[in-house]
Amino acid sequence: MIIADRKSLEEIQDMIKEYKKILLVGCKGCVTVCNVGGAKEVGVLAATLKIARKKDGNPIEIDEKTLERQCDPEYVEQIRDIFDQYDAVVSMACGVGPQFLSEAYPSQKFFPAVNTKFFGGAVQHGIWEERCAGCGTCVIHYYDGLCPIARCSKSLQHGPCGGSAGGKCEIAKDVECIWDTIVKKKMEQGRLEDLRTLRAPKDWQTARDGGPRKSIREELVQ
Amino acid sequence: MHLKNKFDVGKFTILAEMQPPKGVNVSTMVNSAVRVKNMVDAFLVPEMGNAVMRMSSLGGAMILQSHGMETIMQVNCRDRNRIALQADLLAAYGCGILNIMGVSGEDPGLGDHHQTKAVNDIDLMTLFKAVSALQTGKDLAGNELSGSPSFLVGANVNARATGDALEKELSRMAEKTEAGVDFFIAPPVFDIGAIAPFLEKVDLKKTRIIPTVMLLKSVGMARYLDRHLNVTISQDLIKRLMRAPDKAVESLSIATKIISAVKEAGFSGVMISAMGWEDKLQKLLDMV
Ligand code: SF4
Ligand code: SF4
Repeated sequence: MIIADRKSLEEIQDMIKEYKKILLVGCKGCVTVCNVGGAKEVGVLAATLKIARKKDGNPIEIDEKTLERQCDPEYVEQIRDIFDQYDAVVSMACGVGPQFLSEAYPSQKFFPAVNTKFFGGAVQHGIWEERCAGCGTCVIHYYDGLCPIARCSKSLQHGPCGGSAGGKCEIAKDVECIWDTIVKKKMEQGRLEDLRTLRAPKDWQTARDGGPRKSIREELVQ
Repeated sequence: MHLKNKFDVGKFTILAEMQPPKGVNVSTMVNSAVRVKNMVDAFLVPEMGNAVMRMSSLGGAMILQSHGMETIMQVNCRDRNRIALQADLLAAYGCGILNIMGVSGEDPGLGDHHQTKAVNDIDLMTLFKAVSALQTGKDLAGNELSGSPSFLVGANVNARATGDALEKELSRMAEKTEAGVDFFIAPPVFDIGAIAPFLEKVDLKKTRIIPTVMLLKSVGMARYLDRHLNVTISQDLIKRLMRAPDKAVESLSIATKIISAVKEAGFSGVMISAMGWEDKLQKLLDMV
């Protein structure tokens, strides 16, 4: 799923400082699962903002709404009747949400309350890690199901680099060197020679490097 | 006298584009340049135009400089990050390259290595900012340099723009000038009239604009440029080329006329793009 972090209260306050009445919109998708932009977080942020503004002698009115998904035009319609009753709308979905909202309601102003970070999952309660960089051509089967494109700092197809030490990556002591893990796994399984295969230079056209992407499923297009 | 001084005293400068080889055989590039060395004020060395991999501009420019020629090194944002860009700028200056031209660089999808990643770590305006920073003795991260370069900086300007696009182009030009750009290279012209709206808005005495004059190698090329690349080429000119018994001679004579017109119009110089006919540069410049 998509992992995001909430922006700092100061940044959000600064974005909406000139508004008196806003709608705070959450999303029941990924951001609910990673505890950043679901109904609960919408409630907490709304209360915090209201208290902060009241303290400043500049109270703000905030309505709350959490959509099924902000990345689906069908659910984006759920605020059709109310969107223009506010000075601005703040979205707590990933970066897709406020954009779908902006496209559906061009006359309204939308602000992001979260920083969208990566595709990953929870490795323990409260800790999420990156697993996929959406490169568009999955190759993890070469590496026993571990992705060096997303998880190696240099996206090496042939690793590790000289910076790998004690299972850690050169960029920081708390970052796993995924190549160390890949090599260990191959060794344990007696298949180290798999890694001797020279891979073709990666085709980055299918990744973001090839420009904005689109997926068309002919059989579904009406 | 360096290019900068020539600009300063108002000399009509002749620049010529000189492509580095795709490979290491530099003799064609060097020979073509050496032949016109005394007639050209500086050679513009493109940095992998259209994202086609070849010898770098830094390499090509250094080779030409080693033969006593002044060059303009092109720098793009596509292939290098801010570390490499700054490093190459320092290297260039250290090797005697005094002129640079900043460009964004076309997308790799247009070139011959489609699968690569474009870097685009910093954009063009930030690149100009980096050049200014280096010139004041600091790098982009604010660290002190031991000795700072001093470049004459060029950029592109789309002199063919009209209407809203022209307004945008003029504002972009002002932005580039503020960022330290000293001269502008305009795309190929075949008829000064085609850039009249631009000329109405620009004071050629204050802004150094250098239009490109491109050699038309064939009728097919002329038609292609006219139809697909928005380069206005009149039917008369195309007919003239069609009827000519010797296309090369005709093409040079067409280019000579345009160069004279560019000079008369008060531009700071002209940039000749020989499009592979670098061996004909000498003849052209003799005619000018
Ligand atoms: S190889 Fe590409 S698609 Fe597969 S997990 Fe890694 S980044 Fe994601
Ligand atoms: S240390 Fe490991 S994870 Fe870090 S860049 Fe090198 S190979 Fe990749």
